[in-house]
Amino acid sequence: MSYLPFGPIHPALKEPLRIKLKTEGERVVDAEVDLGFIYRGAEQIARGKPWQKVAYLTERICGICSDAHPHTFIEGLEAISDCVPPVRAQYSRVIMGELNRIHSHLIANAIWFLAVEHETLGIYNLNIREKVMDLLEMISGNRVLYSWNLVGGVRMDFKESHLKKILENLKEVESEVYRYRKMFKSDALLGLRSHDVGKMSKEDAIDVRAVGPVARGSGVKFDWRTKHPTYVDYFDFQPVWRDECDNYARVMMRFDEVLDSIKIIRRAVEELPDGPIRKECEIPRGSIDYRYEAPRGELAYIFETAQHGIINDITIRTPTIPNLEACVKHMFRDSPTIADAVAIYQTIDPCIACTERVVIVDEKGNENDFRGMQNVLKELKALKNKKK
Amino acid sequence: MIRDFIRRRSINLGLVMTGGCNGCDIEIVALLSQRYDLEQYGIFYHNNPRECDALLVTGTVAKQWQEKLVELYNKVPEPKAVVAIGACALSGGIFQQETGKVAAPVREIIPVDAEVPGCPPRPAEIAIAVLKHVPPALASYRRKS
Ligand code: SF4
Repeated sequence: MSYLPFGPIHPALKEPLRIKLKTEGERVVDAEVDLGFIYRGAEQIARGKPWQKVAYLTERICGICSDAHPHTFIEGLEAISDCVPPVRAQYSRVIMGELNRIHSHLIANAIWFLAVEHETLGIYNLNIREKVMDLLEMISGNRVLYSWNLVGGVRMDFKESHLKKILENLKEVESEVYRYRKMFKSDALLGLRSHDVGKMSKEDAIDVRAVGPVARGSGVKFDWRTKHPTYVDYFDFQPVWRDECDNYARVMMRFDEVLDSIKIIRRAVEELPDGPIRKECEIPRGSIDYRYEAPRGELAYIFETAQHGIINDITIRTPTIPNLEACVKHMFRDSPTIADAVAIYQTIDPCIACTERVVIVDEKGNENDFRGMQNVLKELKALKNKKK
Repeated sequence: MIRDFIRRRSINLGLVMTGGCNGCDIEIVALLSQRYDLEQYGIFYHNNPRECDALLVTGTVAKQWQEKLVELYNKVPEPKAVVAIGACALSGGIFQQETGKVAAPVREIIPVDAEVPGCPPRPAEIAIAVLKHVPPALASYRRKS
């Protein structure tokens, strides 16, 4: 029995975190994850700021799902103020969200292929992703941070030429992704690194509350888009899922979702209605728990507003938190080699910049709870005092 | 002279993410793709600080990193160069606020040879900064006797 620490800076990791693998020879028997290297305190900065500032801040929590964060936050604000944006705005949100999902999934797969040293497919994936990045830049003006959503609508309108270019580029992306899918399916080497490696059964996935492509790769048929009003009203969305439960399923899931997203965008572009892109909304006092399917899975924004859209309190739960738990608790168990452990870690598409949410420092060693629970206790105490 | 020539022609890069949002990092990863193809210039991306010639530092230097970044810098073998990338590394960006937990800018913690502004900068800008400033910084190095 010996311990093998990775990170925080390591050739196999793109972001700083420390993984401690407990090994028996080459076999991994247990693992531990040490987080907290890039905590920036976004929630604390957000408190007491107007929503316009917080929207830019939420975008900078994660640069890969940089549409999903403001998307969730802004739709939460709209749900508080009972304001439904115009249909054209809803459609353009869908287009941006899905383009964002495509580029996120392609880079995730590229990094996985690079992690298993299949450089050809890795670089192919990165290269086709540039086509999607071009679209995002053409539409919003920036490659990574779009600032696309505003309360009551979106920031800019599509031009006719934009729509034509979207369809054109996506056609290319689609045919290429079909080709990579076939290459991945038929490659013997990749088969060895992916089939039956990093198994997680459906029960385990539900048990650790895995979300997103990781859960859907284990046969959990759930996607928050099935409950999203736009997708329900105009797209009759059906989630894709697989039941192999291993690395192969999770990588394949991402390819499948890219193809699915392309279909959704195509439909949105063809049916894009005319009309305004923004309307006025008044934001009242209120609180909400709003969820949306980010590229990596369920993203929850729980927040409280004061008058005129000032954010009083905010809690953000990102998808990598449960997925990392799933990875450590179930997938690493009995991984045959250490090299496979790296490959498994990359299939959950970890985003550490998202994950660094709470740091609890307690010098006295008192038992400490998350902020949410403390708030509840404080309120209960206040109620008791009032009664007296 | 031969030594300077070779140092200019083969550069290993190491990426250190010290906070920030990942946006700058994926733009660096995008440099590997065929469109930019960093390897055609003899630049190899290898994320190992003990083997690299130039460190790319992105992000806001979270408090946890403040001392570790100096340690990491000392572990990189001479001659070495540092490129700070993104608004976060240059000034702390959006996270530099009264309640923030960041120690940016990077230039106050370790010596920096080039800075690339932008949130995030385009991949081409990063490539230009690396190509323009890293080879001279490496070639002009003389061991102190
Ligand atoms: S500079 Fe901007 S894009 Fe780069 S890490 Fe900071 S917030 Fe993200």
